[in-house]
Amino acid sequence: MNSPLNSVVYFQIGPVPITQAILTTWGIMLVLVGAALVLTWRLTLRPGKRQAAIELIVDMLDTQIRETTGAEPAPYRAFIGSLFLFILTANWASLLPGIEPPTAKLETDAALALIVFASVIWFGIRGAGVRGYLRSFAAPNILMIPLNILESVTRVFSMFVRLFGNVMSGVFVIGIVASLAGLLVPIPLMALDLLTGLVQAYIFAVLALVFIAATVEDGQPDAEIPLKKKET
Amino acid sequence: MTLDFWGLGLQAANVLILIWLLSRVFWRPVAAAIVARQAASDAMLDKAKAAQTAADAEMAKATAAHDGFAAERAALLDTARAEAEAATKTALASAASRAEDMQIAAKATIEHVRAEAAKADAAQSVKLSLQIAAKLLARLNGPIVQAAFLDLLVQAIADLPPAERAALAANAEGIEVVMASADSTDPKAVKAAIHKALGAKPELRFVTDPALLAGIELRTAHFTLRNSWRADLTQIEKAVHNAA
Repeated sequence: MNSPLNSVVYFQIGPVPITQAILTTWGIMLVLVGAALVLTWRLTLRPGKRQAAIELIVDMLDTQIRETTGAEPAPYRAFIGSLFLFILTANWASLLPGIEPPTAKLETDAALALIVFASVIWFGIRGAGVRGYLRSFAAPNILMIPLNILESVTRVFSMFVRLFGNVMSGVFVIGIVASLAGLLVPIPLMALDLLTGLVQAYIFAVLALVFIAATVEDGQPDAEIPLKKKET
Repeated sequence: MTLDFWGLGLQAANVLILIWLLSRVFWRPVAAAIVARQAASDAMLDKAKAAQTAADAEMAKATAAHDGFAAERAALLDTARAEAEAATKTALASAASRAEDMQIAAKATIEHVRAEAAKADAAQSVKLSLQIAAKLLARLNGPIVQAAFLDLLVQAIADLPPAERAALAANAEGIEVVMASADSTDPKAVKAAIHKALGAKPELRFVTDPALLAGIELRTAHFTLRNSWRADLTQIEKAVHNAA
């Protein structure tokens, strides 16, 4: 059994090693985009079961964003929703024989964390301006600036480590049990791994949303006024 | 455990591309579909609201028209009632007037009938009185009464205008002397008294007529000198009748 911490390089494109995680990611991208194209084919005003199901998903995501941030969900919908779908699909990719979830690799989780870190900056500047974003580090007062800067890095790092640890440990445990006890014994652990994958995807997406919302809220001119708009 | 930065960057790029692609092919179309349905439902609701408003307006119009009809009906009923009352009053007044006229006419008729009845009663009474008187006077047809009537005859002849008395005396056909009975009077005395009163001696024919009751009358073809109870009673009856 190979160590789950090691990446298997299939081939090189110039200096870039193409690992299994990258190939799996490409496969997931193809599946998700293909599924999206199929599911959104010919949307009508009178929805069928297919359209009703995907609209239900979008509506649930919008409700989640609205309840978390209090803002309109449109700017965050694609980022948070895609992040959740990718992580969920990547986590559940372990169900396919011979496929290792990309989120069980450091590079993928680090990339996700890096994207969240950048998105916090992006949405913070877009929502509150550069000065507002910088002001968000001074919340609730100036003395907190070093700690807030440190927190902005550590909280993303914690997301990275949490996702990596959970997924990698699941794959690791299942690999050990499968190598020791045959085919049927790992099934309960795989079911648990499904739940873990769902929960981790949800946690990662919600935390990204919370970080973005907190940054935008703290960046407002009057930071004491909540960013959350009242529902109408 | 090492971190492959090339792999990290490639995975970051992959995720960003995936986010961009899903945004284009999934999130935006589905959100647009939801927004379009909400817009369509809002439009339908607005349309339904407008239709409801129009229906309410039509309902208000219909209600107003119904109220107008009711008011018009009430007005027509009031007019008809007033006309009926006026017609009733007119008919009652006409009937009352006609009844009053009829009552007056009936009263007049009753008065007339009553007067006629009274007149008839009076006439009947007169007739009955005259009959009674005639019966009573018929019992007085004695010589004394006849002598009195002879005197009255002589006096009547004397009262005649001379021309009439001369024409009576010169009557060629003679004079009928009518008496109630031949028993109570002497014809010779009568004849002598008449000749004396006329101053001439025309032919005298004695005739008996019980209808005279009592008395002596002279009759020619063109002249009658009445002098009897019957003549008196007839005159009384005429007088009473004319008086009624």
